[in-house]
Amino acid sequence: MSGILSPEFLSALISGMVLAGMPLLLAGLGETIGEQAGVLGLGMEGYMLFAAYAGFNGALYGGSPWLGLLAGLIAGLAAALLVAILCVWLRLDQVVVGIGLILLGEGLTSVLHAVQFGDTSPRLPSVPGLAIPGLSRLPVVGDSVFSQPVIFWLGIVLILVVHLLLRSTRWGLKVRAAGDRPEALDAAGVGVTRTRFFAVLVSGALAGLGGAYLSVVSSGFFWPFMTNGAGFMAIVLAMLGRGRPVWVGVGAFLFGACVSMATALQLVGVDVPTDAVFMLPFLAVMTALVAFARRSYLPAALGVPYRREGS
Amino acid sequence: MAASDSTRGAHRFARRPERRNSPGLLCTGRAVFIPFVSAVFALAAVMLFVGACRTATVTTTSEASNETLTSVVPESGLPRQIAIISPEKANDFGWNQQGVESVKAVAAEIGAEVLVSDGAGYDDIAPIYRQLVAAGADWMVLWASGYNTVGKQLAQETKTRTVLVGAFETGLVPDLCTDFETQAQDGAYLAGVVAALMSKSGTVGIVSSADDENWNKMAGGFIAGVRATRPQVLIRLAQVGQAAYADAAAGKRVTESVIATGADVILGMGDGSSFGMIQAVENATPPGGADKVWFIDVIGDKSILDTRGILLTSVVWDYRPLLRAALAEMKAGTYGDSVGYLDLGNGGIGLLKSDKIPAEIWQAVEAAKVRITDGSVEVPVIYKKSDLEALVD
Repeated sequence: MSGILSPEFLSALISGMVLAGMPLLLAGLGETIGEQAGVLGLGMEGYMLFAAYAGFNGALYGGSPWLGLLAGLIAGLAAALLVAILCVWLRLDQVVVGIGLILLGEGLTSVLHAVQFGDTSPRLPSVPGLAIPGLSRLPVVGDSVFSQPVIFWLGIVLILVVHLLLRSTRWGLKVRAAGDRPEALDAAGVGVTRTRFFAVLVSGALAGLGGAYLSVVSSGFFWPFMTNGAGFMAIVLAMLGRGRPVWVGVGAFLFGACVSMATALQLVGVDVPTDAVFMLPFLAVMTALVAFARRSYLPAALGVPYRREGS
Repeated sequence: MAASDSTRGAHRFARRPERRNSPGLLCTGRAVFIPFVSAVFALAAVMLFVGACRTATVTTTSEASNETLTSVVPESGLPRQIAIISPEKANDFGWNQQGVESVKAVAAEIGAEVLVSDGAGYDDIAPIYRQLVAAGADWMVLWASGYNTVGKQLAQETKTRTVLVGAFETGLVPDLCTDFETQAQDGAYLAGVVAALMSKSGTVGIVSSADDENWNKMAGGFIAGVRATRPQVLIRLAQVGQAAYADAAAGKRVTESVIATGADVILGMGDGSSFGMIQAVENATPPGGADKVWFIDVIGDKSILDTRGILLTSVVWDYRPLLRAALAEMKAGTYGDSVGYLDLGNGGIGLLKSDKIPAEIWQAVEAAKVRITDGSVEVPVIYKKSDLEALVD
């Protein structure tokens, strides 16, 4: 097995890391915004399933992956609208609504898939990559990193955009205040409900992009339950990131690297039981939780519906 | 300017909060109680809706089946309503679809109705089972080995004849429970012959979605076929996940890695994740020495989906012979006395003949088939992943 570690193999592993990490990155960024505003997006898995289904349909019938990603974004937005109405406006329990949304996403997309594609299993063509001049010819990383579809670069840019939005804009300040000190925000004359409402919508839109990435880019296919827990991983990443989008990105691609490494260990023939190999990504996350989560800072009002005193 | 405003704002209403524990997700007091109750009602409504959707799936499929019924009335002693519970949707061109279609075909032959509950998942199927029996099902086909323990109990509780898969002798109860097994390794051996002769890179790959007994058996047969035909061919083995049957994205990712090790023929076993494997093969850059990457499928025939011409063949399974044999056992009073095996001999296992396979290679397949059926070649049966890994090493 010594000759297995060819440039092509290493390139495939890095591609695998990107494929596994990108949906987590997009959904994790969304969850970060929601959490910073004080709204726990427990229903991320539901957002992503709706978006994966809508994204697949958008790309299939629209004939363009961009239409698929747009459809996914809109689906995530629509699901988030439901959550915003229930959790922010009507102040229902965020945990209960989140669980409900997951069940709804799983059930509804399964039924719709069965009705729509019960006798067929259509697939999407592969999304073409954007070869960066010069860099795409580099060994190993040329194919795996510098020939990725445009949405990959959009995801990288989104890390910076979300970081700047949260840290350097008035809107970001309002969002963080809505999660930390909603009463202070209210006292300053800024609507907590409106701020949280909008943050949840942005959160859903980003999670929608992540879900659509799964069906449109990662697999070109929709299958019930295809998120396989990605929504939950996104929540963990957002919590580990402690409101820092860059750390969410690092965590997402670290998880992707561990997932890819599990494949590599099998192919290289490391004498470790397969079950243990598959634990690797989760062990990495648990290690990170133990190492960093004790210092993790969650917004003080996370998960707590806001009520003005005396109302 | 914006940054400056933000800084001022920070002093105004967002002073650095004290590091204290979150008050938690569960709040107390009357103000929270009412929304909480509302949320519980909302969740209940959602669950009712999802439940209704699942019920609708069963009913709709049943109605669809009724349309195909003939006017034949089942003989005495034969079932009038056959129900199948499958873990995933029956549109996977694989395990679930094959099972449902076999049941429908055999039911049509004897004039029985069919009730299908697909996508039942891997959890407790007791409510679905009882619901189907209450709806009149008098022969239950349980299409996942994970259903065996509860399936046998339910059969004894409801006195309903039941088919289990993968339970072997432990699943047998005279006149009540029978068990179906496969000799799928024989078909996979033939696929291994094809792969070895078609590979130009000298490396073939095996990708499975889970540590599944059937996948392991087929992988073992495939390895034996390759080794017997061209011993020098390298074999790469990778598993997508612990139970990644539906994970198409992971199927694609792992298959891309296997191709990158030089494999130009991939045996893919995955249900829903097969579609990701296929996309990886379709878009693969052929490894050194090869001009194309081929895909070998299992259980079903995905030819109609093969728009890019990469499907080399498929180890096809057909459960109709075993279902017919079980019906014959019902009439003979021997139902549940012995395990039924799907194999090359009864036509339940075979290799799809496609126009991608040259005639001389197909002749080699036919010759290998004869050697297996006459016993001159004994294909090893491998159940455990660890035993497979030892073979590849």
